[in-house]
Amino acid sequence: MSTRLARILTTIFILAVVLLPIYWLVSTSLKSNREITQEGTLYPHVPTLDNYVRLFTEKQFGSYLTNSLVVTFFSVAIALVVGAMGAYAIARFRLPFGMERKVGLFLLTLRIIPPVVILIPVYLLMLSLGLLDSWLGLIATYTAFNVTFCVWMMESFFREIPVDLEEAAMVDGDSRFGAFRRITLPLAAPGLAATAIFAVLVTFNEFLFALALTATPRAMTMPRGTATLIGRIDTDWASMAAAGVIGALPIVFFALLVQRHLVRGLTMGAVK
Amino acid sequence: MMHSSRLTRRSVIKGGLGLALASTALTALSLPMPARAAGKKVIIGAFADGGLTPFKQKIIPLAKEHGFDIEFLEDEYGVTLEKWFADAQSGAGQYDLYLLDDPWVPQFGAANVLEDLGAGGIDGSDKDWIGSMIDMGYWPPQQGPRVKGFENAKPTLICVPFVGDLQTLTYRNDVFTGGAPKTWDEVIAKGKEGVAAGKIKYPVVFRGVSGNPIVTSWYPIFLSFGGAFFDDKWNPIFNSAEGKASAEFFVGAMKQNAPSGVVEFDSDQEGAAILGGEAGAIIQYSGNALKADDPAQTKVAGKLDFGVVPKQEKAIAQMGIFIAGVPKSAPNKANSIEFLKWYVSAETQAKLSEAGSIPVKRSAFGIAKPGNRLIPVALQQLDAGALPRPRTPDWAKVEELLGIELNKALQAGSGGGAALDTAAKQVKDYLTTAGYY
Amino acid sequence: MQGATQARRYRLQGAGLDLALPYLMLAPGLMIVLGVLVYPLWDGLRASTKAYRYGSPVADVGLQNYVRLWSDTQFLNSLWVTVKFVALSVSVEAVVGFALALFCLHEFRGIRLLRTVLIIPMVITPVVVAIVFRLIYASDAGMLTALSQAMGGGAVQILGSPLKAFIGLVVLDVWEWTPLMFLILLAGLQSLPHEPFEAARVDGAGAWRVFADLTLPMMRPVLAVAIVLRTIDAFGTFDQVFVLTRGGPGEATRLISIYGYDTAFKFQQTGYAAALFVTIGLVVLALAFSAIRLLRRVDAS
Repeated sequence: MSTRLARILTTIFILAVVLLPIYWLVSTSLKSNREITQEGTLYPHVPTLDNYVRLFTEKQFGSYLTNSLVVTFFSVAIALVVGAMGAYAIARFRLPFGMERKVGLFLLTLRIIPPVVILIPVYLLMLSLGLLDSWLGLIATYTAFNVTFCVWMMESFFREIPVDLEEAAMVDGDSRFGAFRRITLPLAAPGLAATAIFAVLVTFNEFLFALALTATPRAMTMPRGTATLIGRIDTDWASMAAAGVIGALPIVFFALLVQRHLVRGLTMGAVK
Repeated sequence: MMHSSRLTRRSVIKGGLGLALASTALTALSLPMPARAAGKKVIIGAFADGGLTPFKQKIIPLAKEHGFDIEFLEDEYGVTLEKWFADAQSGAGQYDLYLLDDPWVPQFGAANVLEDLGAGGIDGSDKDWIGSMIDMGYWPPQQGPRVKGFENAKPTLICVPFVGDLQTLTYRNDVFTGGAPKTWDEVIAKGKEGVAAGKIKYPVVFRGVSGNPIVTSWYPIFLSFGGAFFDDKWNPIFNSAEGKASAEFFVGAMKQNAPSGVVEFDSDQEGAAILGGEAGAIIQYSGNALKADDPAQTKVAGKLDFGVVPKQEKAIAQMGIFIAGVPKSAPNKANSIEFLKWYVSAETQAKLSEAGSIPVKRSAFGIAKPGNRLIPVALQQLDAGALPRPRTPDWAKVEELLGIELNKALQAGSGGGAALDTAAKQVKDYLTTAGYY
Repeated sequence: MQGATQARRYRLQGAGLDLALPYLMLAPGLMIVLGVLVYPLWDGLRASTKAYRYGSPVADVGLQNYVRLWSDTQFLNSLWVTVKFVALSVSVEAVVGFALALFCLHEFRGIRLLRTVLIIPMVITPVVVAIVFRLIYASDAGMLTALSQAMGGGAVQILGSPLKAFIGLVVLDVWEWTPLMFLILLAGLQSLPHEPFEAARVDGAGAWRVFADLTLPMMRPVLAVAIVLRTIDAFGTFDQVFVLTRGGPGEATRLISIYGYDTAFKFQQTGYAAALFVTIGLVVLALAFSAIRLLRRVDAS
C-alpha cells in the first residue's frame, strides 16, 4: 500500500516539476504587464487575450509562423528524398576503396560537430550568394543539416530490410531502383517516419542560424521571431510569455501526436 | 488492432499535414497586405526602446500625412547592431534607415557603408543643431583623436541625430528640499538625512551589472571628477588620479549608500528602486525618468524632480542618442533622405518635443508646451556639459573589459583604483592587437 | 553474390544505369552537403588565418589567431564555464534520467500520462524554454519572486547573481534534457534480458544488490552512449543562454558558443572567431572519437 502511495506521490511530483513552469508561462501570457510587475499574482486576476492578439496584429507573428512552416516543410521533404537515396546507396552498395563506409563516416563527423562551428562560414556563403534573409538560404542550410543525420538514421533502417526481398523483385523484372521504390521504401516506412519527425522537430526549433541568416519578417522563423521580444530594457513580459506559448504550441502538439515514432527515432542508435 | 491504431494515427498525421499546408497557404494569401498608400516608402530599423514611443505614436502618423509610407521594423537591442551592420556590409538592402545607438557610428563609419548625408542635402553646420549631438554624426570625428587610417580623412556627415537622450538626475524633492543637489557630497549627506527621517531607504541607486550597465553608471561620476578616458593617441588614461578617485568613490561611498543588491542591478531594478520610493537619487536616461509622473508606474508620483547631475569638479553627464544613418544599399534611398530632411526640420522637431521626446534642434527645446518636463532640464544639462562615449569602433569590447573589472571591485566594495589599472592594461593590449598604435 | 548475412552488399556488376546507380543516388545528398557545409567549413578555415577589421579581411596572419586564443583570458574563461556547465548538467541528467527510467520500468497507473508529459520539455523550442525560465527567475516578474512575496518575503534575485544565474542555467538544461536521457535509458532497460534478474530474485538478492551488480553493469554501454550524445550536444548550447542571460552577468554564463558569437558579430573579429570555432570543433571531434573508441571496447567486453 505504501509503495503505491509513494508511487503516486512521486508521479505527481514529477508531473508538477514539468508542468508548473508551463503553467506559469501560460498564466503570465494571460495577464497585463501591470499585473505581472506590480502585483505579482499567482494566477491571472484579470485574464486577457490582448497579448495574443497583439502578437499577430503588431508583432508580425503570422509571418514568422508562415516562414517556419514553409522552410521546415521544404527542408525536411528534400532532405528525406535525398537522404533516403544516399542512405540506400551506403547501405546496399560496395563501392571501390570502401568509399561507402568513408562517406558514412564523413557524414557522421558532420553530425558530431557543433553547428555553431560553421555559423560564420555559412553566413559568409549566404552573404556572397545574396541569400541572406530569404527562404532559399534557410532551406538550403537546413536541408544540408538534415541530410547528414537523415542518411545516418535511415541507413540502419534500410539495413534491417532483407536483401532477398529486393532480389526477388529484380528477378521478377524490376530494376534496382524500382525495387528500392516498391519494396524497400514501404517496408522502411516506420523508420522513415521517425526520421522525418526528428527532422521536423530539429528544423522547426532551430534558432542560431535563423538568427544569423535572417533579419526581417520576410524570412524570420518562429524561434527567431520569438526572440524579438526578449529585450532586457523595459521588458514586455506579457508579450514575451504569449510569444512563448504560440512558439511552443505547434511543435508540442505535433510531438504529442507522433509520440511513438518520436521516441523510436530518439532512442534508436543509442540502443542496439 | 495495431493496424487500426496505426491507420488512425497516420490519417491524423496526414490530416494534420494537410491542415498545416492549407493554413500556410491561407495565411500567406490573406496576410493583411498593409494598404499601400501612394506614399514614399521608407523602411526603418529600430530596437525596442521606450525612448521611441513618442516617435512611434505621434510622428509616424504625421509622416504619413506628409506622404511617407513608413515601415517600422523593431527588434531586440541585443541583436540589432549585428543585424544592421551585416545588412549594410553585405549590401543586402533590407533597410532604408537605421536608428542606431550613437556608439555604433564609428563602426559603421569605419566600414564606409553609410550614405554621405551632407552631400544628400542635410546641413550639418546649421546652428540650430545641438552641437554635441550633430558632432556624433561625423566620421571621422571633427574633434578629438582619430582611429588609425582615418587621420587625414575629411569628416563626412554620415548620421544625423534622431532623438536626443542623455543622463540627468532624478531626485526626491521631499529629501532634497532645496532643489537638485549640486555636489556628490550633498547627495550623500542629505540622502542620509532622508534615510534617518524615514522618507527613503537609500540615498542613491545605480546599475552594477558587469558590462554596459556598470560603465554607464560610473561614467558620469568619472566625468564629474574630471577624468578623461583616452588621450589623443588612444592610450587609456582613465586610470589617472581623478579616474581612480571616482572609482574609489563609486565602489566605496556610492555602494555603501545604495541597496545591498546593487552589484546585480540592471535598469529594471534601479528603476524599481527610485519609482518605488526607496531611493533618494538616481542618474538615468529619459526612458525611465519619464515614468516618474505616471501614478500607474510609480508610488511616489509628484515627489520626483529632475536636475543636472551633481558635480565634483564638473557636472558632466553621458550622452546617448538615437542617431539615424542611411545604408548605401538602401532600396528607397531618395525617400529615406527626404524623410530625414523633413524629420530634422525645426517644425517637425518642435512636434517631437511636444510629443514628449528630447529633440535634436535647439529651437525645439524652447517651445511653449514641451511634452514632458524633462526637456528643459535636458537643455540645462546639455549646456552644463554632456559627453558621448569615445568615438572608436572598438568601444563595445573596451566597455566590456572595463565593466568586468569595475564589477569585481564593486562586489568587493573596494579596489576601484586597482580595477582601473587592470582594465587599462587589458584595453591597451586589446587595442594593440587591433592595430591602434 | 552469395552471403548469409543481412547486410549484404551488391558488388558492382552489370553496365549502364546499374553501374552508375549508387553514385547517382549518393550524388544529390553529397552535393548539398559539400556545397552548404563543407565548402563553408573550408572557407572558415581560410578566414581563420586572416585578421579582420570592421568586417573585412585586411591581412594574412597564418596561425596567429590560434595562438592568441590560448592567451585570451576571456576565451579560457568561457571554455572553463562550458566545461563546468556540461559536466554538471550531463551528470545530473544521467542520474535523474536513470532514476526516472527505473521508476517507469514497470507499468502502473498514470505511467502513460507521465511518459507523455515528459516529452514536452525536450520538444519545446529551446528559445521558449529559456523564456519559461526567465519568467521563473526574473526578480520583478518571476514565479520565484511571486511565491516569495506571497509568503511575505522579498524579491528573489537569480539572474543578476553570477553563481545563481549559472545554477539557474544548469537547472534549465536539466529540466529540458533529462527526458531525453530518460527515454534512452528506459529503452535500454527494457531491452535487458530477463533471466539474470529472475535468477537474482530466486536467489533472494535485495534491490540495491540487483541494481549494483546486474543493472548498472549491463546498462553501461547504453549509459555511455547516452552520456556521450548528450555531452556533444551540450557543448553547442547557445539558444537557451542567449535568451536567458546573453552570457551574463559578466561572464558567469558565457559559454564558448556565446563568446564566439560575440567575437564574430559584436566585436567584428571574424577571423579570430573562425579560429575559435575551428578549435572547438576539433576539441569536440577528438572527444567524440575517443569516446566512440572507448565505447567499442566496453561493448566488446
